[in-house]
Amino acid sequence: MRKLMLAIIVLGAMGLLLPGLSYTAEPPIVIGAPLSTAFLYGWDAERGIKLAADEINAAGGVKVGAVKRPFKIEVIDTRDLEPGVPVSEALLGLEKLILEKKADFIIGGPVRSEAALAAMDLLNRYKKVSIITTGVLTPAYHKKVEGNYSKYKYCFRNTSHVGVMMGEFVTLLEDMRKNYGFKTAAILVQDVEHARKGGEAMQKALTDKGWTVIAPKIYPTGTTDYSVGLSDAGKRGAQILFLWMDMPESTILLKQWADMKLKSIPVGFVNAAEQPGFMKASGGKGESLIVNLVNGGNAPAKITPWTMKFVDAYKKKWGLEPEGYGTSSSYMAVYQLKDAIEKAGSTDPDKVITALENGDIMGVYGRMRFDKKTHQVIPSMDPKEGAVTGIIQWQKGKRVQIFPPKTAEGKVVLPPWMKK
Amino acid sequence: MELIVYGIINSITLSLVSLGFTLVYSISRVPNFAHGALYITSGYLTWTFLDKFAGFPYPLAILAGIGITSIVGAMIYQFILVRIRGMEISEIIATYAIGLAILEGLRWGGLRGMTFTLPAFFTGSVNILGASVDYQRLIIVGAGLLTFALLYLFTRYTKIGLAFRGIAQDERAAMMLGINSDMTAVVSLAIGSALAGFAAILLLPLGNIVVETGYNVLIFAIAVCVIGGLGSWGGVIVASFIIGFAQILTEAFISAHYQMVVALLAIIITLLVKPSGIFGKQKELEERV
Repeated sequence: MRKLMLAIIVLGAMGLLLPGLSYTAEPPIVIGAPLSTAFLYGWDAERGIKLAADEINAAGGVKVGAVKRPFKIEVIDTRDLEPGVPVSEALLGLEKLILEKKADFIIGGPVRSEAALAAMDLLNRYKKVSIITTGVLTPAYHKKVEGNYSKYKYCFRNTSHVGVMMGEFVTLLEDMRKNYGFKTAAILVQDVEHARKGGEAMQKALTDKGWTVIAPKIYPTGTTDYSVGLSDAGKRGAQILFLWMDMPESTILLKQWADMKLKSIPVGFVNAAEQPGFMKASGGKGESLIVNLVNGGNAPAKITPWTMKFVDAYKKKWGLEPEGYGTSSSYMAVYQLKDAIEKAGSTDPDKVITALENGDIMGVYGRMRFDKKTHQVIPSMDPKEGAVTGIIQWQKGKRVQIFPPKTAEGKVVLPPWMKK
Repeated sequence: MELIVYGIINSITLSLVSLGFTLVYSISRVPNFAHGALYITSGYLTWTFLDKFAGFPYPLAILAGIGITSIVGAMIYQFILVRIRGMEISEIIATYAIGLAILEGLRWGGLRGMTFTLPAFFTGSVNILGASVDYQRLIIVGAGLLTFALLYLFTRYTKIGLAFRGIAQDERAAMMLGINSDMTAVVSLAIGSALAGFAAILLLPLGNIVVETGYNVLIFAIAVCVIGGLGSWGGVIVASFIIGFAQILTEAFISAHYQMVVALLAIIITLLVKPSGIFGKQKELEERV
């Protein structure tokens, strides 16, 4: 009996003294991640979230008041990026995370804008704080929060949106005009809402700046031949090919551009060209392509002291560099949530919302703060002031950060056949 | 002139994609809705041989990819379709389900993202009548024309080919002459699948191997066959040229945005004017009555 009592006392003391053991006794904080996992913006977000949770748990977990609790990740495939899958599928997935998996918080998606907008009412109904980290480029998301704060205060977004991206693209293209004398741009976009709007906005923005803009060519999803459009752009002297596509067939366009040796440089939002394996997949024909990865840290760069630590940790855990849009933001969202819970000292949604609104941490892609009215991450060209983008150019088979200037690791390089 | 060049390339690409589908239907009367899945299977198998076995020769990988796809096609008939042959709705459901299982199985097994591709046979481009054309597309045109010619010779001068035509014209009469209907159907599925695989090997180096392409290929194959007439090889070629040129001209003179609309319009018009397709057989009035 004495031995038993002694053993109980010793084990109890270990539990109190060793933090690594003490948190395991506490119930986990469940993060639900509704993601379209068959697609880049889904699986890379999942990897980012899991990496952050593992790091935090290994360091002892999240301090909630007097106790430390681990994060537990529950992922559900919303399939919302798959063609023909209705928005309701994503909403069902989200509801399942909340009701069956008992998610305390939501991080990640839904990924498609329409699904994310529809999910806002669900988040309000269940009072679940959510941070959108991937997909969802529509400005309507944060405008909706601003328009009805009391209803949509649960919704945050730590990634960029089309409005910000357009400004970044125009600044970059204006720099290129100064440096190379470019003045004509052709716009080629996919026949989906966000791409059409992006093309229209870019046409207006560049026209206002005095560029000659060839009216947008809109390609249906699945187009396998771009010869006519590219040939037309070449004949009309386009020096910039502005692309906005998230279909796999955009690789065909880039291969045709390289084969035709068009005297133009492709710039844009091209989902197919984000991943580290793109250069091999394109047979080297993506060289010189400029791609917007939406947030910094989605490719190696020295934006803040944390950026390369994140890149290295990601490589160590998953065996490859951060893959594209959604990786760094999903990783950061977990840390933002941890910071907010610890400051709130509670997982109570209202307290966490206030803490997130007041949060201010130096993250992977700059200073991470949310606008208090819109719950949109505050963007900046300077990582000391806000969240910065990651515009890269494929140079010698690698993704080199070229914009914004304060984080650039290289300059724009023209394709060999464009050099004089 | 460049529109003619691009139109020809686009048309031959469409006919290559559709040939396997129409061959299977014309002989076995099985609408093979797994056609797109077999197309992707062939590409993925070839990629696997190249990527997983260092130094594996490309031509051998191609042969292995097409060969295995062909065997898969034959097995689909031998183990599944043979039991429901003649029940058309069941055939459609079964082949579509097989296609779904293959494509989603590949996705589940790791065919995700856009980094899977096959190398082009030759890189570079050439100017033809003012149009810049890459070598891979020239090979597609050459291989397409060669395939048409070989299929023509095969169905007229080989025993199996003549059996194919016999079954296609009148199955009962062909069976009375000693032609094994089921065996012919197995071979037709095998050759149809090999044709899907062959098209994949030619076309996938232009872009990348993704599951969604399997669905798109099926849609285009059906569109071409509906317009040309189900089971008509000549119809496939004519329909491919109609859709191929309509798409190119639409992009040049109206907007690329309407390319798919034009293809769908062509289907609707064909169905309204001649529901069996341009070269399809139509029941005579008294037969329908």
